[in-house]
Amino acid sequence: MGLLLSRQHQRSALLRAFALLSQTFLWLGRGSLRRRRQQFIEQLFEMGNRSVLFITVTLGTLGMISVFQVLIQVDRILPEYSVVGPAFLLTMVREFAPTIAGLMIATRVGSGIAAEIGSMVVTEQVDALRMCNAEPVDYLVAPRFAACLIQTVLLTMYGGVVSVVAGGLVANLVWGIPYEVFFRVDNITYSDFLAGFLKCVAYGIAIPIAAAQAGLETEGGSEGVGTATTRAVVNASFCVVVLDFILSGFAFFFLFD
Amino acid sequence: MISFENIHKSFGSRGVLQGVSLSVPTGAIRFIIGASGAGKSVLVKHLIGLIRPDQGRISLDGEDITHLTEKGFYTVRMKCAMVFQHSTLFDSMSLIDNVKLPLRKHKNLTSSEAENEAMYRLEQVQMAKDARRYPADIGDGLRKRVAIARALTLDPKYVVFDEPTTGLDPLAAVNVDQLIRELSDEFNVTSIVVSHDLRSIFTVADQIAMLYNGQVLLDGTPDDFRQSDDSVIRQFIEGRATGPMEFPKASRG
Repeated sequence: MGLLLSRQHQRSALLRAFALLSQTFLWLGRGSLRRRRQQFIEQLFEMGNRSVLFITVTLGTLGMISVFQVLIQVDRILPEYSVVGPAFLLTMVREFAPTIAGLMIATRVGSGIAAEIGSMVVTEQVDALRMCNAEPVDYLVAPRFAACLIQTVLLTMYGGVVSVVAGGLVANLVWGIPYEVFFRVDNITYSDFLAGFLKCVAYGIAIPIAAAQAGLETEGGSEGVGTATTRAVVNASFCVVVLDFILSGFAFFFLFD
Repeated sequence: MISFENIHKSFGSRGVLQGVSLSVPTGAIRFIIGASGAGKSVLVKHLIGLIRPDQGRISLDGEDITHLTEKGFYTVRMKCAMVFQHSTLFDSMSLIDNVKLPLRKHKNLTSSEAENEAMYRLEQVQMAKDARRYPADIGDGLRKRVAIARALTLDPKYVVFDEPTTGLDPLAAVNVDQLIRELSDEFNVTSIVVSHDLRSIFTVADQIAMLYNGQVLLDGTPDDFRQSDDSVIRQFIEGRATGPMEFPKASRG
């Protein structure tokens, strides 16, 4: 019930998200990361290093399954395997690597941010921060935002490579496609990389803001933290899908030939 | 002098405060009591801008602070400290760093100046030897002492204690009560204490306000409270589970 928000509430939630985003940029501009270097490094480790296995497994599996399924269809319709590798690489760069990695990060990192901040809200630690004249956005949101932005880009690049390598292994070991045929990159342009990179950056901005907003708006006790965590994952995943649609359209009209 | 005038506050459809008016004279110890969820914590958080009223007026030393901005409340929070119900020490900081934080943020002291001042405050609550430990390493009672030290670092004129003796052993609870009394008698600090600890109420309070159904049911001295014939108050004092008292559904405040 709590997740089924009215249209008016959704609009005001969007406005609050933009307000939180501008405050975060403001505090980053005022040197929040310099003052909170230790916390920033801890968040980088927490979000990045601890997500590596998760990203490796999910993106690797996705790469293997995608290539396997496509090759089955190609084998039936058009036994011409040389197009599969380049098409798979192009799709990964433009679409699947950023979006699937974005959804995975929304799940793992987004829930973590919301649970952490939400717990601080219900145990009044955020109120205690305000009593000390410490601004919660400066202390809690800015380091997590910067860490998530950087790690989304890095994890996506890493996940993309894992996925492609896993797909290449399946193509070679199961279907006997030579690596030099599968890993042909001559039809990938800078515009394709730019489209993928823009998506990474957009997701890296949207995920921590959606999660931090859910955390800061936590109400009640431990049940409230659970609801906030669910809301963070739902909102962050929704942001990833909507941004993917918008940026794919933008890239189609303005970047690709 | 603190005064709340006709304060209304709702969360969703639930009206927690429905026209609460009360005042706290300088130097007094004012207890705010009532069942869980009666809105006691919600009321006191209005004073320091952690919650904003839907309607009503709050004044501190004659100045209307109802509509101050978050930045405007910085000066109010220097004068008016709060000891939270769950101590709310920051887990990632050592005890001394917790106490140093308001000194560094409010007074812009250097790290070594803040360190000396924080150590003095920890000595006051017999926690100096544990200064380098972390909140997770100590028990609830000790955490509460550090929270009190943190609240007193800025020499506040007003201190809000939210259930200061809840979860403490009887000896630690008596120590906290004595500390509240000393702050009032020796330093003329005004205290607002949210509590339902009857022993504390009758040994420390100068004045008591009981909240019930979003309004002040009784506003008087401990003797007024003891002698009241009101059936709800009698049930509260006697700690009876059955009686006319209606318990709020939600647990906030």
